[in-house]
Amino acid sequence: MSMMRWKPAVILLLAAVVAVLSFGGSANASAPEAKPKPKKLIYDAAKLLEKDTAALLESMAREYGAKVETDIVIYTTNNTSNRDVVELTQDFYDKYAFGYDKPHGNTVILTLDMKNRDVYLAGFYKAKEYLDDGRLDKIRNKITPDLSGGYYYSAFSDYIKLSHRYMGYEPGVNPDNILFKWWFQFAVAAVIALIVVGRMRAVAGGKVTVHRGTYENGAASGIRAQSDQYIRTTVTKQHVPRPSDGGGGSGGGGGGVTRGGHSHSGSRGKF
Amino acid sequence: MTVIDYKCPNCGSSMAFDSESGMLSCQSCGKKDNIEQFPSTLQHAVFFENEAKEYQCNNCGAVLITEPETAATTCSFCGSGVVLSDRLTGKRAPAYVIPFSISKAEAQKAFKKWCKNGRLTPAGFMSANRIKSITGIYVPFWLYDLHNDVEVHANATRVRSYRSGDYIYTETEHYRIYRDIVLNYVKVPVDASAKMSDELMDKLEPFPYDQLKTFNMPYLAGYIAEKYNYNDRELLPRAKHKVSSYVESYIQSTVSGYHSVSFASKDIQTTVKRADYVLLPVWIVNYDYKRKKYTFAMNGQTGKVVGQPPISKGKVFLWYMGIFLASLFSLKTLSWSMGGGFW
Repeated sequence: MSMMRWKPAVILLLAAVVAVLSFGGSANASAPEAKPKPKKLIYDAAKLLEKDTAALLESMAREYGAKVETDIVIYTTNNTSNRDVVELTQDFYDKYAFGYDKPHGNTVILTLDMKNRDVYLAGFYKAKEYLDDGRLDKIRNKITPDLSGGYYYSAFSDYIKLSHRYMGYEPGVNPDNILFKWWFQFAVAAVIALIVVGRMRAVAGGKVTVHRGTYENGAASGIRAQSDQYIRTTVTKQHVPRPSDGGGGSGGGGGGVTRGGHSHSGSRGKF
Repeated sequence: MTVIDYKCPNCGSSMAFDSESGMLSCQSCGKKDNIEQFPSTLQHAVFFENEAKEYQCNNCGAVLITEPETAATTCSFCGSGVVLSDRLTGKRAPAYVIPFSISKAEAQKAFKKWCKNGRLTPAGFMSANRIKSITGIYVPFWLYDLHNDVEVHANATRVRSYRSGDYIYTETEHYRIYRDIVLNYVKVPVDASAKMSDELMDKLEPFPYDQLKTFNMPYLAGYIAEKYNYNDRELLPRAKHKVSSYVESYIQSTVSGYHSVSFASKDIQTTVKRADYVLLPVWIVNYDYKRKKYTFAMNGQTGKVVGQPPISKGKVFLWYMGIFLASLFSLKTLSWSMGGGFW
């Protein structure tokens, strides 16, 4: 008897919990186990990192990279031969044959040219698709302040995490869409529940079901006389600022094709 | 004397109004009499103010103890339904009555069902037979026919904006608006009993006016009836207040198509075309739950139940969590379908 009355609420609750858990379970299960592959991912030729922080980043890159089946690579150079940063990146990829799935496979590379203070991000294969020029621009814009300030560890770890996170979104969608933010989802769900339960509480005592038309004698009601008299027109005008090119932070660059014939996405900038 | 109880002409038992058949019926022998054929002579009987205020039951002779407003009741000794006719005659006579169509047993069942369906009411509420009393009361109402003459002056604007070259132009057209409106509202009910909560009575509406019958005493037999505490003039402000929101929304509906409307003047003249004293059927239930008293009312014709039930915190929490998780799941699914990943 008493169980009967709790039923709808309990069933709804359980269904929701089961649904959330089962989805979560399958999402976690689909993440593949990291292959034991002691490949080097951090090439710190410019000696920007301490030995132990480099090791830390190495394991971090391995862990996050495995989840998205991509090698997340960092390359720093003093660029003594003074070559262009894009060329440096392309030759670096061709030479070391990075790739999580195969040699010359899924890879994202962050190159720092310390001589010209150029930064370049490139995505190959799966990373080219999932980390297109736009997303690489986003990552570069987020880590550039840290790079300029010399906080390399922080910039590199952000780069690894962002690369991993952005690769979780289907190509073509904005990864920074507020709908994808967990706190936004929680807040909206909380507000919806508050409104619905509040409404349930408010109508628990019965609600007024009469309205304007209930007692109105339509035949003997209406407009007897009306006028809508035009008086005047006022006009205001407002200047529209032309879209001007943004001040600092040289961007663009985009992708290209390496000498070895591997096409990639890219984002280039200064720091 | 002015106490009337209806004796069955067949067997001599007391008769009472039967909500199912709408007739005066005898519980002992089952005889049914059509009320509309009863003479209503008492309605025009002369009543003297200084007449003794003690009433005696015609059936058993006991003194009936009533409140001064009670017009119909049951004898507390023998249980026969009696009508104190002098309290409903002369200028106090109701014009119409809507008889009960829901019987006591049906009302009781409907109340229990309503509490059970309450999604936030505690599980034990109304399951035990703790209904303290269930009483069928004819509540006195005034039904107003209100005629409203409305004159409105307002200033309105229509805004259009367009772009030309480097500028956005905003063009605002100003209008002067005049409306002369007549609004007739018929049978706007206002309860005239001091005992009944206005809020509850307002929520009980609407009453089916096609069931309005010319008042006749036998309808009250077996129920409690109250005489009005306030006359039609005293309650007119409440009636005006009730229709004022309707008038307001009607005015708003006549000035559509503008971006902004500001009213310079609203002149509303309300005149009472007619005010009828009627008795409307209400079941009142008093219920004790966890040492608190709860009062519910049910429309005796439509079965609509109103009244604030207790709220179970546990159920509120469960519903909240359920809806929260369901919404979260939907949002996650939405984000996932948009390519954003589930987590």
